[in-house]
Amino acid sequence: MLLPKFEFHEPGSIKEALELKKKWGSTARFLAGGTDLLVHLKKKIITTDHIISLQRIESLARITAHPDFVEIGACATMAAISETPVIQAKFSALKSGVDNIGTHLIRNRATLGGNVCNASPAGDSLPALLIYKALVLLESLDGKREVPIEEFFKGPGKTDMKADEILTGFRLPNPPVHSGAHYIQLGKRKSSEINVVNVASFLEFDPKTKKIIDARIALGSVAATPIRSLKAEALLKGKIAEETSFYEAGEKARFEDCKPIDDFRGSAAYRRAMVGVLTKRTLTTAFKLAGR
Amino acid sequence: MKEFDIISTRANRIDTPDKATGRAVFVDDISRPGMLYGALLQSPHAHAKILSIDTSKAEKLKGVKAVITSKDAGSIKYGVSPARYDETVFAIDKVRYVGDEIAAVAAESLDIALAAVDLIKVEYEILPAVLTIEEAMKDGAPLLHEGSPKNLCAEVHQEFGNVEEGLKNSDIIITTKMKNKRQDGAFIEMQGCIAEFDNLGVLTLTSSTQVPHYVQRTVAMVLGMDIGKVRVIKPYVGAGFGIKASANPMELACCILARKTKKPVKMNYTRDQVFMLARARHQFSHTITTGAKKDGTLMAIKHECWLDGGAYTSFGIATVYYTGSLLGGPYKLDNMSYDGYRVYNNKPACGAQRGHGAVIARAAFEQQLDMIAEKIGMDPLELRIKNMMETGDTTCNDLNMSSFGMSECIEAVRKGSGWDQKKGKMPKGKGIGMACGFFVSGAGYPIYRSDTWHGTVIVKLTEDGGTALVYTASAEIGQGSDTAFAMIAAETLGIPLENVRLASGDTDMGVDLGAYSSRQTLMTGHATKDAAEHAKRQVLEVLAEQLKAPVENMDIRNGFVEFKGAAPDFSELRTRYIKEHRGWIDNPTSEKLSFKEASRIAFLERGSIVGTGKYKPHNLGGKFKGAAVGTSPAYGCSAQVAEVTVDMETGQVTIDKITDAHDCGKAINLTSVEGQMQGSVSMGIGEAMHEEVIFDKQGRVLNHDLAEYKIVTSMDMPKVEAIVVESDEPNGPYGAKEVGEGAIMPTIPAILNAVYDAAGVRLNELPLTPERVYNAIQEYKEKNKIK
Ligand SMILES: Cc1cc2nc3c(=O)[nH]c(=O)nc-3n(C[C@H](O)[C@H](O)[C@H](O)COP(=O)(O)OP(=O)(O)OC[C@H]3O[C@@H](n4cnc5c(N)ncnc54)[C@H](O)[C@@H]3O)c2cc1C
Repeated sequence: MLLPKFEFHEPGSIKEALELKKKWGSTARFLAGGTDLLVHLKKKIITTDHIISLQRIESLARITAHPDFVEIGACATMAAISETPVIQAKFSALKSGVDNIGTHLIRNRATLGGNVCNASPAGDSLPALLIYKALVLLESLDGKREVPIEEFFKGPGKTDMKADEILTGFRLPNPPVHSGAHYIQLGKRKSSEINVVNVASFLEFDPKTKKIIDARIALGSVAATPIRSLKAEALLKGKIAEETSFYEAGEKARFEDCKPIDDFRGSAAYRRAMVGVLTKRTLTTAFKLAGR
Repeated sequence: MKEFDIISTRANRIDTPDKATGRAVFVDDISRPGMLYGALLQSPHAHAKILSIDTSKAEKLKGVKAVITSKDAGSIKYGVSPARYDETVFAIDKVRYVGDEIAAVAAESLDIALAAVDLIKVEYEILPAVLTIEEAMKDGAPLLHEGSPKNLCAEVHQEFGNVEEGLKNSDIIITTKMKNKRQDGAFIEMQGCIAEFDNLGVLTLTSSTQVPHYVQRTVAMVLGMDIGKVRVIKPYVGAGFGIKASANPMELACCILARKTKKPVKMNYTRDQVFMLARARHQFSHTITTGAKKDGTLMAIKHECWLDGGAYTSFGIATVYYTGSLLGGPYKLDNMSYDGYRVYNNKPACGAQRGHGAVIARAAFEQQLDMIAEKIGMDPLELRIKNMMETGDTTCNDLNMSSFGMSECIEAVRKGSGWDQKKGKMPKGKGIGMACGFFVSGAGYPIYRSDTWHGTVIVKLTEDGGTALVYTASAEIGQGSDTAFAMIAAETLGIPLENVRLASGDTDMGVDLGAYSSRQTLMTGHATKDAAEHAKRQVLEVLAEQLKAPVENMDIRNGFVEFKGAAPDFSELRTRYIKEHRGWIDNPTSEKLSFKEASRIAFLERGSIVGTGKYKPHNLGGKFKGAAVGTSPAYGCSAQVAEVTVDMETGQVTIDKITDAHDCGKAINLTSVEGQMQGSVSMGIGEAMHEEVIFDKQGRVLNHDLAEYKIVTSMDMPKVEAIVVESDEPNGPYGAKEVGEGAIMPTIPAILNAVYDAAGVRLNELPLTPERVYNAIQEYKEKNKIK
């Protein structure tokens, strides 16, 4: 498998990158870590005449903690995100999401923006972005726009991003006190796996009453995009945070919130069953972390 | 036992510096001036008639130097076993699987070659394809090969003793089925080769192969050349596991392109082509009935197996025999029958892979031993000890265990795993299981019928006397054979390992059947020892003449000549040596006469000191049909204990630890033995847990890369405690025998037995994906009304 020929551009700023993109239109593609793009080019799944590398644009790789939120540049690598103290302290489900991507080699190159643009239903960082209510930050020569992450995915490999836009980063509001979140992925082997099912859950509770104030559950690999498990979330609100509630939420997610298919990685029935188990387990851990 | 100076140590491997610094040269690192690049046109259809091939557009493309089809390659059939040759280099009238070779192009660049392949126009008439054993055996199913009705490639029927009687006299009879999935070897280096002719018409093929000798013979036969005009060189190779143990169509096409273009031609498989060529482990479907007495004595095995063979025979005829012949041991058993069938279909051909033929039969049978033990309330480990063969025993199918440390292996894993403290005492979800196995140390006979030596080795001493050069045509493919032979040569000559230089993997160096059936340590090892003894004898003979001392009173050890009793006066020899040595500063001053001095004197007296060595096994096996397959001069044996955790909600199995004991005879290099044990366990875990080649309905491999074909990652690998058990094998060089394949035998059944212990479910199909285990647990819960 040979890499096809293309012209390579290395702009130093977002503006320059956008101008190049405008010039070459649909014959050009952005390159972040390249761990999806180069594979797709080699396999001839896609073709391109121009590659516009984003690797020289330093601002895109920054991770910045603000008082109320954190901003993660689109080109921040999985390895960098994993090692950032604010992520470790406040966004542990995102950390475990990015830690589950590929291998060390891949995590040193792969970017969060690339994972989101690739929009695989099984993408490892996506459920965490959903439960943390990430905002997707986009920029074109005409200006900037922000899209809530749950509106961003349109199908496998499809997003709300326009042809003349760059994804510049993500804004994640700090989670409230007394909240916790967790992520689990399940595959056939223990690493370098394309998920059979992956689930992230977020839970906020009132320590006095033990009642659940807010819950968000995101399911991967069981629909055309990663999805929120809205009925299970609704069921949890106001309930006492305990094992039976988590089990019931899992069953709700399993039978009412997901639409898995059969493929060679797993059957729909097994995927459903695992949505139940992983929902229960991520909620249990999220609750444990919330109580710390 | 004898004291050794070099073997049985943890000597550093001689290839490590090259591999660690990136200096090791593999085929892909090589290029030649004016070299062309080749590419193959392979069938997109599983079964189709070829109506016409039009190469004219491809030939006209700028930079294309040759386009070849069956018109150039001819119709000579080749394969693995001469009686079963059923392949031609290029399809002549029809294609039989997705990937069957149709044509090849040589061009100035790979880009051009690939573009030219796309320009070759083939008109097909699509034929109905059969993709499973069931489809292939149906009445009226399309036939792959004329002369193979019902697509039956081979069948074997054997009975030893009286199985019916044996079962009649059994108190417990257990029948189970077991099925694995087609494997891929997943070696790291994809096959590649470079073919070039010199001006005298000599062809040199540099190839990533396990068997330079068989490739040489096949290339010579297919191209109609003298064997002496074909040289096959194997550079460093990134493993093979059996898949590279025969000539492949790319090697042949490459040679034909080189002949036609008169230029060096290089070709490589991509990873998906590796999956297309296949030739790895078959899918086996076993039905085994085992009978035993109430006291645990094994009485009889009735064994039936169906092998999903793919489009050609490849190694299949040997596979279908091995599947039967390597089952009965390592247990005493008088009655065993076997009915084996290998069926053609329109998928890539399967062949040999580590543990050839025997791995899944063992996975079925070793589970049955546990089931018997459970029924009679016996510890499964004790049941195995009760039935264990002993040194000197012969199986009912005439395989002789000339050394057999089986019970030592069992005791070692019992202790190493803490079996007695754990078995039956683990919490739900955790389990422990064990299994045993044995395997050949080299096939007793070559693949083609012949009296040939299985290995020849040359040891030549350099004229200065300092160094021994070892030349062997054997194949170092990552397993460490070069180091083992250098160690054997050094030990035999009595010199330090750094004074041995070894070259291997070149058919010009002699005959060696290559790296398969775990043969090299024993066979090439013997030939190396023989050659080194021959060289040493010549040196000592000269010394005896010069010193007028009896040759029996001399030996060489650690680089010095040792004399029995008082050393004779060798000052004259030393003076002569020093005179020869003018200008050098390392004149000998040692009290003892050095090997260097002695061999320099030997050179001065006799010219080049060249020792030659050779090996072939003595006549082995019984007289019945197929008796040759499974014979070996020696058998390695092993026991393993697996400890697992089963997640009862998701079906995920985690292997916590494997304790592995292997009797390899005398360990030439302990570290390499452990490496083979670890590697075998890793391959066994992969096959047990997640490896499986998956096809779509058109016969195309769906998961043709290492992202989707799931071998073990470091995260899946448990702690492996590798315990080397040494016995003294009378038929092995310095007592050595195999470890490369036998070590995989117990892995899968040990895991399956542990999963049963943990979760109460017996699985009769691999791999143990979370989903399969989950479903089994659900079924078990329903049956036993557990919530
Ligand atoms: C061996 C291997 C293992 C893998 N394992 C996993 C895994 O376990 N889990 C998982 O989720 N994924 C996995 N992946 C997929 C891949 O690594 C991830 O999706 C990764 O995050 C992609 O990021 P990237 O920076 O490499 O993207 P790239 O390949 O550079 O880009 C991907 C796509 O996004 C576009 N793009 C990238 N950045 C921007 C931007 N800022 N603005 C606009 N468009 C942009 C590109 O044009 C391209 O179309 C694996 C890949 C490989 C090769």
